Amino acid sequence: MAGLLVPPRPSVPKPSRIGRLVRGSGRAGVASLILWGGIAALAAWLLPGALRWAVFDATWIAEDRAGCDPSGACWAFVLNRLPQFAFGFFPPEERWRAAVALAWPIAALALALGPAFRARALAVTLAFAAYPPAATLLLMGAPLGLAPVASAQWGGMTMTVYVGTVAFVLAFPVGLGLALARRSSLPALRVLATLFIEVWRGLPLIAVLFISVVMVPLVLPPGTELPRLVLALVGITFYTSAYLAEVFRGGLQSIGRGQAEAADALGFTYWSAQAYILVPQAVRAVIPGILNTVVSLFKDTTYVLVVGLFDFLNIVNAAVADPRWLGLATEGYLFVGAVYWAFCYLMSRVSARIERGMDRGRVQAGHA
Amino acid sequence: MTAPAIRVAGLSKWFGDFLALDRISLDVPRGGSTVLCGPSGSGKSTLLRCLNGLERWEEGTVQLDGRAVGRRSRDLVALRRRVGMVFQSFHLFPHLDTLGNVALPPRVNLGLGRAEAEARAERLLAQVGMARLARSYPAQLSGGQKQRVAIARALAMEPEVLLFDEPTSALDPESVGEVLDVMIALAEAGRTMVVVTHEMGFARRVCREIVFMCAGEVVECCGSERFFEEPATERARAFLSDIRR
Repeated sequence: MAGLLVPPRPSVPKPSRIGRLVRGSGRAGVASLILWGGIAALAAWLLPGALRWAVFDATWIAEDRAGCDPSGACWAFVLNRLPQFAFGFFPPEERWRAAVALAWPIAALALALGPAFRARALAVTLAFAAYPPAATLLLMGAPLGLAPVASAQWGGMTMTVYVGTVAFVLAFPVGLGLALARRSSLPALRVLATLFIEVWRGLPLIAVLFISVVMVPLVLPPGTELPRLVLALVGITFYTSAYLAEVFRGGLQSIGRGQAEAADALGFTYWSAQAYILVPQAVRAVIPGILNTVVSLFKDTTYVLVVGLFDFLNIVNAAVADPRWLGLATEGYLFVGAVYWAFCYLMSRVSARIERGMDRGRVQAGHA
Repeated sequence: MTAPAIRVAGLSKWFGDFLALDRISLDVPRGGSTVLCGPSGSGKSTLLRCLNGLERWEEGTVQLDGRAVGRRSRDLVALRRRVGMVFQSFHLFPHLDTLGNVALPPRVNLGLGRAEAEARAERLLAQVGMARLARSYPAQLSGGQKQRVAIARALAMEPEVLLFDEPTSALDPESVGEVLDVMIALAEAGRTMVVVTHEMGFARRVCREIVFMCAGEVVECCGSERFFEEPATERARAFLSDIRR
């Protein structure tokens, strides 16, 4: 009987992606619209002035400060100094070496973000693992038969990327070892690892750098002279490894007891259980924590300025004081901020990608 | 009469002041299955975990093939490569797919090449009816499927003895059967198995020996026929009528 048929419901169109972004879902609609209105108003108030200064009235090409339109930004300053910002005082004819050392980690990150291929994880890992020796030899030059360049001449973004990458790559295994030692069944090892971690974590990085540069030479045999860069690297590496150790320890603790028991029951030795079963799971569990440590390490490398090394920030700082370009601190520091931000954003994209790639195997700890 | 696969003599274990196992003596015959049963807290899982050294004990000995199980970690590793174990809550490795879970132990611990280990894993997965899901991850499997993979993983080490610690207790009622079927097939093929379970149907069907434990002691140890038809002790009778209800 036709009278009993339920009339078809008018179908509700599913909101588009942008629609969902603007309105949110369900009852959040009104609040969301008010918020977006506020954001739009703020943008309308701030954006025109900012754009006029940074883009429309900006000067891109000039010989010095006098050549810049005073009503806009003077990007000519940044462009003129770009090679120095990137490579420090590296001799111009040898700059390709610094460029390789600078581009290497960026390329490795791009590899991790780009299209997937077989053994990509291995390729990225190898690229990072090979970086400390390869970049060091390349920058030094002499061992490879290239023109020697003293580490005092390294600088700029190259220095920042070099120090950050080398310290991370070296601190990763050290931190893992510390985390395992802190959970060891041998009390002496546990106490030593805890002591090491607490000491390095309890010191401000600036103090660590002063100590490594001023005090370490005192305990070295007289006559040995290590470059400041090496001393600073040792300090930053240990400092970072202490933080990473605690991140890894959290990951190891998040694995259910059953995983270690299953490994034991299958006849895995302590080390093979760690290598194949426990550490891989622990590292996956703490990717966000590792990223957090790496981002903060990357930004903290700028403290090497206190021991007289010219990292990216420090070299921009020096350029701002150049009489030919006096008074352009805003442009200089905005550029510094943008570059640091871009690096950290790239790292956070890579970490998000790694996490997404692991979702298929994700389960609650201990219920596998 | 061949020598027993496992011989336990005078084994006692304390948890603090609590005597969990009280002078247990027991022979596990080769080529048959032995069921450990008893009320919860009777020490049956603890005893099972002593057999592959997952638990330490204070007194007594456990012998595998006539050789005493030592305490040094090197001896324990060697022992565990000959004694497989299946857990109540599976403990599959969540970061590896099904095939990887089964292929990893023989590859790392027996030194098999990757191709050889994966061929063995594929054969074992087919044996437990999981070949189709070789590329799935544990998180994508049901309880019964996980437990069948766990059995294949234990078998991959080609152990002489297989221990089962309440293998069906964490499963939905409908997936108990698929796991029991695999275990029955193994028992009927003549595997030496020690099974802690409440599945008395399984015990009746495939078991030569029933070990009934209560409060850390072995109360009865006899052929399964006799245990179910005419249990000798009051405690066994009470237990049987409890689980039949």
